[in-house]
Amino acid sequence: MDAQRAGSAVPGLRAAIAEAQPFNEMFDSQGRSRPECARVIAYLLALGSGRLAELGERAHRMFRTTGVTFNVYGDHEAGERIFPFDPIPRIISAAMWAELEAGLIQRARALNAFVADIYTEAQIVKDGIIPRDLIVGSSQFRHAARGILPSGGIYITVAGIDLVRGADGRFHVLEDNVRTPSGVSYVIENRRIMTRLMPELIRGLRVSSVENYPAYLLAALREIAPSGIDDPTVAVLTPGPFNSAFFEHVFLSQQLGVELVEGRDLVCVDHKLHMKTVHGLRRIDVLYRRIDDDFLDPVVFRPDSMLGVAGLTAVLRAGNATLANAIGTGVADDKGVYAYTPAMIRYYLGESALLPIVETHLLRDPDVRQAVLRDLDRYVVKPTCASGGYGVIIGPHATDEELAQSRKRIEAAPANFIAQPLFPLSVHPTLTGETVDGKPAMAPRHVDLRPFVLLGAKPRVLSGGLTRVALREGSLIVNSSQGGGSKDTWVLEE
Amino acid sequence: MLRRIAGSLFWAARYLERAQWRARLVDVNYHLLLEVPPRDADPWEPLVQITAEQDLFAAKHSHAEEASVIDFFVFDRENRSSIRSCIEAVRANLSTLRHLISSELWVAVNRLYLEVQGWSAQALAAAGVSNFFAELNRHFFTLEGIIVNTMPRDLTYDVIELGAMLERPDNVSRLLDVKYHYLLPRLEDIGGPADLRQWAAVLRSASAFEAFRRCYGNAIRVSRVVAILVFDPEFPRSIRFCIERAAEALERISAREESPGTSTAACAELVAMLRDGDADTVINSGLHEFLIDAERRCAKLANHVFDRYMAIE
Repeated sequence: MDAQRAGSAVPGLRAAIAEAQPFNEMFDSQGRSRPECARVIAYLLALGSGRLAELGERAHRMFRTTGVTFNVYGDHEAGERIFPFDPIPRIISAAMWAELEAGLIQRARALNAFVADIYTEAQIVKDGIIPRDLIVGSSQFRHAARGILPSGGIYITVAGIDLVRGADGRFHVLEDNVRTPSGVSYVIENRRIMTRLMPELIRGLRVSSVENYPAYLLAALREIAPSGIDDPTVAVLTPGPFNSAFFEHVFLSQQLGVELVEGRDLVCVDHKLHMKTVHGLRRIDVLYRRIDDDFLDPVVFRPDSMLGVAGLTAVLRAGNATLANAIGTGVADDKGVYAYTPAMIRYYLGESALLPIVETHLLRDPDVRQAVLRDLDRYVVKPTCASGGYGVIIGPHATDEELAQSRKRIEAAPANFIAQPLFPLSVHPTLTGETVDGKPAMAPRHVDLRPFVLLGAKPRVLSGGLTRVALREGSLIVNSSQGGGSKDTWVLEE
Repeated sequence: MLRRIAGSLFWAARYLERAQWRARLVDVNYHLLLEVPPRDADPWEPLVQITAEQDLFAAKHSHAEEASVIDFFVFDRENRSSIRSCIEAVRANLSTLRHLISSELWVAVNRLYLEVQGWSAQALAAAGVSNFFAELNRHFFTLEGIIVNTMPRDLTYDVIELGAMLERPDNVSRLLDVKYHYLLPRLEDIGGPADLRQWAAVLRSASAFEAFRRCYGNAIRVSRVVAILVFDPEFPRSIRFCIERAAEALERISAREESPGTSTAACAELVAMLRDGDADTVINSGLHEFLIDAERRCAKLANHVFDRYMAIE
């Protein structure tokens, strides 16, 4: 069978396909504790898996009584769910985190520069670095974003950058989320729970705090207010209680101490944005929106949207309010554009990328497409515009029927897909929920990491981020909407 | 505060109050019927009569008996004023405004909500009616205690106060009305032991029994019950007390406006009616008519307040 495949014309494609042993976050290949994990491992061994499982159940009860939940789309029966939580923490050493932090800031700055560029001069296109049709063909490109110049040039106030750790232990960027990334509320809630479950361990280890995130976010939002406003009014815009991330919207407005508004609370008058309060209209200067572009303004986008407010785009164009993130930032987290991010970093910052990306093939290219389609069962195919793990086909785990459907979709609209070799996500010891010899069992499960980067007058990064864990054995899908859970992430201080 | 959020909070306060009164009503009626076998065919019927949901009840149940009334008042999600519906509404409303309330209040409401999810007729039977309602009452008093002790006396508190104080008179009034008109329709029974027991039950379901004793001693008379539940300026479950508190809350809300004063006038008439009235006069000229009138004015005031400060369209 390999006679034909050996003739693959695309260089570099073959080597990457080989499956590698995943990296274990806590133990090296000889089974020794990694140095940064040694104390945690000793603690867990002393505790025993029975007691650990009890802590996990206690965490579950605490999430329930405090109403830390998410909603599942298209599943009205299920309603509110608890994001499954694993009490074994994920550890990141101080040195490792310093590297990641620098790489994350670099990446967020480059993505922001890219968005600023393509909605003004589009110099990166003129200079032939990124093909024009890739950008304007992206479902997230917004013509309406032209002519809106956010204060301070900040388009991407909040970025969630998904990292995965390869077989060699090196962190790679898997995808960028620069529209309305969610999950930060779980980072803070997970820590709140863990300080109750394992207080002495956290204190003994000097774990970096995550509690400053709301203050960071509020500072960044205030810094991007239109110039000349001393004490800007900030509000969070939510689509409402039925949104899957509604808990987070409530959480953030509560932590920021600002109003949580819905579209029907807002009105635009004389190109200014107002909210309807008990004592009359009140100006909003900065709107942290948690709804998609398409629903923001029925005048410009979907006319049937009840979630936004008519006239918002005009307000932004007049410079009378700032939207975070700006309209059209999604073009930067398009998975086709992702392939060009190392070039983008070089182009805007004159630096080489500190964080590598995963090898990515754009199926719009006929030669690449042919090669990938030949070996489709060895690739992960992703739609360029979706998020949340929707529409992803993992070749090695897919049925023949799924592969045939995927092939058909690719052939119908090749530009909408990318392919990546199956990336061996690192694994981390996790309670499986099963018992062995009457004791709760632990086993390695795949994890990723979503750190959060804020851009304002200066960049700020939350220490650590959301570690998501694929709870099913062998599963690589960590998304909460698809059965993933989470762990607390401990960045150790020097 | 956003108008929509003020509306959510206002209704959360009302639903919380309503749930408490529904619980008392069922509890007291149940215990009243334990001791002496009822003479009327449908001793549960009056409970249904005093709520605004009697049509819905009639559509779902052929007649009022213990099981159907408890189901309708406690569990039925189709009945928006059932205790379960009220608690779910309180939780749904508060979940959108957690930034305005203390975490203690949120957690206590959420705990109650989670408990309500496990409710069933079997669970109630297993716990026993007395225990079930005693537990529920503890929840309610805990919630009220948390509100009083953790919420700053600002606009948020005023909106809660307004909601609770405009909801309560309606419940008091209906409670009085049912006793006066439905429970004991025969004139010759007035003043008899059954009559007195029923009035004591009314006082208990308003948590007014001890307060009544302190004011009037042992002798229960209609005019005294009406005096304490309608006209008393100091008892927190009298209609007058509630309306005066609502008027004050409204005044504070209005004082924060740029052009204050417009909405307090709507309250003045109702306050005057309660300050100037007395039990004997009202009983002579028709208690039922008086109560209906008060309920109507109260509803009008609540509508006015909602339109003025909370409606968003």
